[in-house]
Amino acid sequence: MDYRIKLAKRMLFNQKGSLVGAVLAVTIGILVIHVNFVIFQGLFDAIVRDIRDYNTGDVIITDESDFIDKSDQSLIRWFERIPVVQAATPRLSTTSEMNMTKNGKLIEETKISLVGVDPFNDIKASTVHETVTEGSYVFSRNSIVLGSNVARDLGGAQVGDSVKVLVNDRWGQDQIRRFIVTGIADSPGGQGFDYSGVIHIDTLRDMMNRHGDTGSFMVKLHDSSKAFEVKEFFLRSFPNEDFIAETTEEASEAQLEGFRSGIAMINMIGYFGMMASAFAIVTIQMMLVNGKTRQIGVMRSIGAKRKDILIIFIFQGMIIGAIGAGVGTAAGLGYTVYAKETKMSFNGSLPLEVTYNWEKIIQTALMSFILAIIASLYPSYRATKLLPVEAMRTV
Amino acid sequence: MSKIYGEADNRVKALDNVTFSIKQGEFVLIVGSSGSGKSTLLNMIGLLDHPTNGKISIDGIDTTTLNDDKISSFRNKKLGFIFQFSNLLTDLSVLENVLLPLQIAGNNTAEKDAIDLLKAVGLEDQIHKRANKISGGQAQRVAIARGLINKPSIVLADEPTGNLDSVTSATIVQLMKSMAKKLNQTFIIVTHDREHFGNVDRVITIKDGKAFEGDLPSEMEITA
Repeated sequence: MDYRIKLAKRMLFNQKGSLVGAVLAVTIGILVIHVNFVIFQGLFDAIVRDIRDYNTGDVIITDESDFIDKSDQSLIRWFERIPVVQAATPRLSTTSEMNMTKNGKLIEETKISLVGVDPFNDIKASTVHETVTEGSYVFSRNSIVLGSNVARDLGGAQVGDSVKVLVNDRWGQDQIRRFIVTGIADSPGGQGFDYSGVIHIDTLRDMMNRHGDTGSFMVKLHDSSKAFEVKEFFLRSFPNEDFIAETTEEASEAQLEGFRSGIAMINMIGYFGMMASAFAIVTIQMMLVNGKTRQIGVMRSIGAKRKDILIIFIFQGMIIGAIGAGVGTAAGLGYTVYAKETKMSFNGSLPLEVTYNWEKIIQTALMSFILAIIASLYPSYRATKLLPVEAMRTV
Repeated sequence: MSKIYGEADNRVKALDNVTFSIKQGEFVLIVGSSGSGKSTLLNMIGLLDHPTNGKISIDGIDTTTLNDDKISSFRNKKLGFIFQFSNLLTDLSVLENVLLPLQIAGNNTAEKDAIDLLKAVGLEDQIHKRANKISGGQAQRVAIARGLINKPSIVLADEPTGNLDSVTSATIVQLMKSMAKKLNQTFIIVTHDREHFGNVDRVITIKDGKAFEGDLPSEMEITA
């Protein structure tokens, strides 16, 4: 083994306190980035996941004229011919007023979002039915699933209660129907239909006087990464229609934009943390150089060149970087595994969507390794600048 | 050569037009009182410091014209150092300390030479001990072995017995003398323990930065 490498290792490992301090600095820097990523990217991905699962699918089809007039069955059959498509389902929504008499008292709520679903296809394309915590999902023309917040606002509506729903039809006329509450929907994070009512799409079409019209089509894919291709294929296939096709990210861009900036800022904070680690390494390396000044003088006096001294201390930076990157990445991965396996969530909010972003994991480890080397450059340079005769005077 | 420290009013002339030459194989003592400039002179000869003016020629090479890398190589190949406090690298073993000058020169195959030298200085049973786990006398013997391992043409020793008791000092002096004879090496030793060295080839006395050939006259005798 090259004597410089041997000396670098010995000098460092014989100063265990300094080694542990420097490695800990790198480890914490990496861990902060991993924890930030798991929490904030996990939260972002969880929101995207819920938007996709509950509202848009992987591709959502709408029409420039607000309503799609093609029949449900023809579009569903068209989509289901594409192998990557898992299911497609129509949705229609409007604003409604609801009232319910509870314990002899009439409670009215306005501006409640009312969503019409095709129960048969909806459970294949969406997981919103899984958010029904009491009772069951929409199964008949007169059943309604109330979001947990709507149920609460209506004085504590329960399964089996009866609610009156009022919507304005396409001619501006009030249409009132009575529904039986068959389920209460409650989703962690509130991305589901917690603030809505869900009824059969045909009932809503009747009430809105929009027979055969659909507000949107949710298309669920087996492989979400093919969303853009499916969208493009759909638009190419219907060149003469006024369809709008968007992927989940495109459809929810306005909703996600602010969150994206937040994640970028949090990442910046993480990288600043890494910079702080680099300063810690500079300090510790300076201490190592100061502690070895006399030995540096001795080495220079017996023939070591400046570059030899530089190599010794840069190699120490590499050792610190390598061990720190290894321990930090292992600790970060440990936290990621824990978050994924326990479906980590905070205060009962939506469970984080934890992914292993290997590119980012490797990038973070490499960056901290390089940063540790860069941080060791100045102390190493200082070591080479010592005159042998002056260095040996140091006690 | 001359060596001046400081500037303007704070100028101190550590060496003042010192001129001498030493032949191959000579055993030379540089003596003088504390602060006379003898260690400064040794540092100049050892290329650890630069003279303010003048030049130092070793084997016909004017060393003042060499750049830092060449000076380092020169120190490694031509010079051997023995310091007062042994100055071993405490992170290395006894053997590794002795091997270090060779490894710096890129020679990784002379372990046998190092062991032979350690045997010659009576430390064959200590070779794998950490350098900070041996006594002062043993450390100084390791330093001698390290100073000789590269077979330098000049060995420079700065107060090599200054930190040792009289019995160990006598052993170390004897060791250096026998090595000098055996390997035909030039030894230049700075000391204020003149009497420990007995008969030597030459004595150079430094007083107030000036060099004088021979021992000091009695009226100039040094008090250590």
